[in-house]
Amino acid sequence: MKIETIHLSGMLPKVFLSESIPDSDVWRSELTFERGKFYLVEAASGGGKSSLCSYIFGARIDYDGTLRFGTVDASTLGMDQWQELRRRNIAYLPQELSLFPELTALQNIKLKNSLTGWKTDAEIEEWLRMLGIEARRDYPVGKMSIGQQQRVGIIRALCQPFDFMLLDEPVSHLDGGNNRIAASIIVEEARRQGAGIISTSVGNPLLIDEYIKLKL
Amino acid sequence: MRLVSRLLRKNTSPARVIGFVLSNFIGLAIITGGLQFFQDSKSLWSSDDSFVKTDFLVINKKVTSSNTWGDSDTGFSQEEIADIKGQPWVRDVGEFAATDYRVWASVAQGGKGMSTMLFFESIPDAFVDVAGSDWHFSPEDDVVPVIISKDYLTLYNFGFAGSAGLPQMSESIMSGIPLQLTLTSDDGSRCERRIGRVVGFSNRLNTILVPQSFMDWSNRLLGNGASRKASRLIVDVSSPGDVAITDYLDSHGLEVAGDKSNSSASFLLKLVIGIVLAVGCVITVLSFFILLLSMSLLMEKNRDKLHSLLMLGFPSSEVAAPYIRIVVISSLAAFVLAVAGCSMLRIYYLKALQGLGADVGGWWFGPSAALVITFIVMAFNVVSVKRKVRGAWRL
Repeated sequence: MKIETIHLSGMLPKVFLSESIPDSDVWRSELTFERGKFYLVEAASGGGKSSLCSYIFGARIDYDGTLRFGTVDASTLGMDQWQELRRRNIAYLPQELSLFPELTALQNIKLKNSLTGWKTDAEIEEWLRMLGIEARRDYPVGKMSIGQQQRVGIIRALCQPFDFMLLDEPVSHLDGGNNRIAASIIVEEARRQGAGIISTSVGNPLLIDEYIKLKL
Repeated sequence: MRLVSRLLRKNTSPARVIGFVLSNFIGLAIITGGLQFFQDSKSLWSSDDSFVKTDFLVINKKVTSSNTWGDSDTGFSQEEIADIKGQPWVRDVGEFAATDYRVWASVAQGGKGMSTMLFFESIPDAFVDVAGSDWHFSPEDDVVPVIISKDYLTLYNFGFAGSAGLPQMSESIMSGIPLQLTLTSDDGSRCERRIGRVVGFSNRLNTILVPQSFMDWSNRLLGNGASRKASRLIVDVSSPGDVAITDYLDSHGLEVAGDKSNSSASFLLKLVIGIVLAVGCVITVLSFFILLLSMSLLMEKNRDKLHSLLMLGFPSSEVAAPYIRIVVISSLAAFVLAVAGCSMLRIYYLKALQGLGADVGGWWFGPSAALVITFIVMAFNVVSVKRKVRGAWRL
């Protein structure tokens, strides 16, 4: 089953409850993310963009208000449903990447792809080449630079079907050239599946042209 | 999924797993061995006398010269019986009833006849362990089942038969010979004839026992109606080794008939096996906690990895699988070792037990108990692993 919309209603991280929040397009508002559209959530650090991603991905639930996938209240989903959602509907690249440092770049990617069986080895090799890390494919990820790790993380996140892709500061350590290549790969994958993209940034956004910009 | 187990098995401590296997093996082996030995040796002290349970004592008053020459008797009054019933170590008391008429038994065998005066006693059927319908009498029946003391057969075979020129008889031959019973009232006015058949030989009942129903019927028919006090009591005791029993019997001038050492031995054996089993249980419980704690520690160390794998969308069952595999394999290894160890031990003690004439039990008794325990240990640990995985789902 596809998720057509992600709807936030009066949502606010509980830590902000006692604070006065500045004007926000996201918190304490009615906001609907639609499949097929690309969103850029801009914020100063500490604004809660990682929290937003974690809430949508079900990794955290310390919020006020409601979150709905289509008409389904996210708080009613059980662990198994969330796990299935993570395999089929929502791809997520967390800011901290959560790669396994003892595994190589290719092993990290294949760990995910073996779960979904979504991409062929050739497609993965092609992305590694496009992003300029094919020479490092058999290096332990722990020994790579943050920029290289980000590219491994992006490829891993793409190794699954998705209706929405959550990208939490995906290119903070990438130069303009790699940023564009990454953006083109992500947009191509999203278009092919008719998926939406929710990307966050504190100043170095993933370079996509047709963003709907939201201020956090 | 090799990568998943490689990731999650990191930090596994072989020493802790081996520690669990060894301690669980020791605990299980003690329990398995203890139970199996109990089962194998049971026949030695229980089926020895299958007619009365080992927890029964037969007691009577000591016979003194005043009983012979004076007017005091060895019967138990209702007050005395009530007093015994009131003792904390007594579960139930049955009275021996005696015949109130004369019994004449004769045997015709190969042309030679032999006859003798006899007596019967009975105890309530609840105290007699004879398979179902064998121990029953109704007035229409011609045949009366009888249990006699093994000592009587011994006396006959080795004391009497030789000197009287009569053949010795085995238990089975004896059981096959019908006894012609002639029951006559004291005044000789009434008479009944029945056939007695020996259905068993008892080590512990020094009497000739007939069913209670036969005793009631024959006394009503042939007795003179006078109620008589029971001279012996059969007592079902809760713990045969209790010193309170000896103290009570001594202070009331009572003695225990038959072989009471058997019941004390069985009590001691039960006690020792109970202690052994308790030690085995304690070790098993401790080993269970070793596994529980080492799995918890391992999963705690790998918690971030668990979380990351769950964030990638791995099903919880797949993430738990490497740990469940450790639990299952190590538990089964301990079980197999324990059963193998006990089987070897059994080979040694079986010879000794069979030498003592034990009818050994099935080999599966100890192992099935160990299997049940193994499954319990496994089930608890699997549940604990699953809970830990859930705990790592949301940090």
